[in-house]
Amino acid sequence: MSNKVAIIAANGGLFDAYKVFNIATAAAASEKEVEIFFTFEGLNLIHKQGMHALDMPAGKEHFAEGFAKAQVPTVPQLVEMAQELGVKFVACQMTMDVMGLTKEDFVDGIEVGGAVTFLEYAKDAAPTLTF
Amino acid sequence: MIKSDVQLDAKGLACPMPIVKTKKAIQGLDEGQVLEVIATDKGSKADLAAWAKTVGHQYIGTTEEGGVLYHYIRKCNPEASEQVEKTFEKTISNEEAVNGEGLILDVREAAEFAFGHIPGAKSIPMGELAARMDELDKARTIYVICRTGTRSDLAAQQLAEAGFTTIYNVLPGMSEYEGELEKEVK
Repeated sequence: MSNKVAIIAANGGLFDAYKVFNIATAAAASEKEVEIFFTFEGLNLIHKQGMHALDMPAGKEHFAEGFAKAQVPTVPQLVEMAQELGVKFVACQMTMDVMGLTKEDFVDGIEVGGAVTFLEYAKDAAPTLTF
Repeated sequence: MIKSDVQLDAKGLACPMPIVKTKKAIQGLDEGQVLEVIATDKGSKADLAAWAKTVGHQYIGTTEEGGVLYHYIRKCNPEASEQVEKTFEKTISNEEAVNGEGLILDVREAAEFAFGHIPGAKSIPMGELAARMDELDKARTIYVICRTGTRSDLAAQQLAEAGFTTIYNVLPGMSEYEGELEKEVK
């Protein structure tokens, strides 16, 4: 059985952040090795400023109340917890170039890599998830 | 109130926090100790059972009281196989012990006992055996049982050294017992 979980985060909304980080932290807490590859809008989720103000999907803004009521951790809290549990963050170099971003725009402790970096990691991971 | 060694309050926390907190808390336990996780997240019951199975700890059970869930997990060592060599010579099967004349002595933790034991069995957790041996009658046959036969093997040796003469280790133990169960929880 593979002990690796590979995740691609390609979208940058608030819901996407929870999908990505909940699965990632749960996997890490279950002694799995976890790597998330952030690409395109997915980079929002680890952007120093961006991650504090992720958008709800249009028309779903009313869920804000539910998030507060369910005492769900904030996205920056989830990011910190994931890193504390050893989840590895890899930002996509090509997307960063397109968007004019540098490593300093993101939370500390990330790595930068390309598609092959992710594929090499994911070749024996199970499951590989895309959000 | 079920006895546990360490308590973790995860009330009010949503997924995946109860799991993350449990992972951290269990690092502070010794092997064989029981962690009580108090949570209000309804999904935590299925999640904690699955988590324990994945990482190799023993999920004992969950009780609910007034919307609060109390989960019990016993820390196991995933590297150490349950198939540790058993050295106590006199053994007996589950069926023979249940139908026998002797006393069934259950040496699992109190929480494991609470979630299901053989009717009429006496509970003395392995760690308390040395201090509580005077509760046992030396003249009586004693069948020592645990989950897989490892703890009961050690307990049987302890009893034999203390002068008990008719002691049997029950194999395979509660993990494969399918008869009637008595419970102390709802």
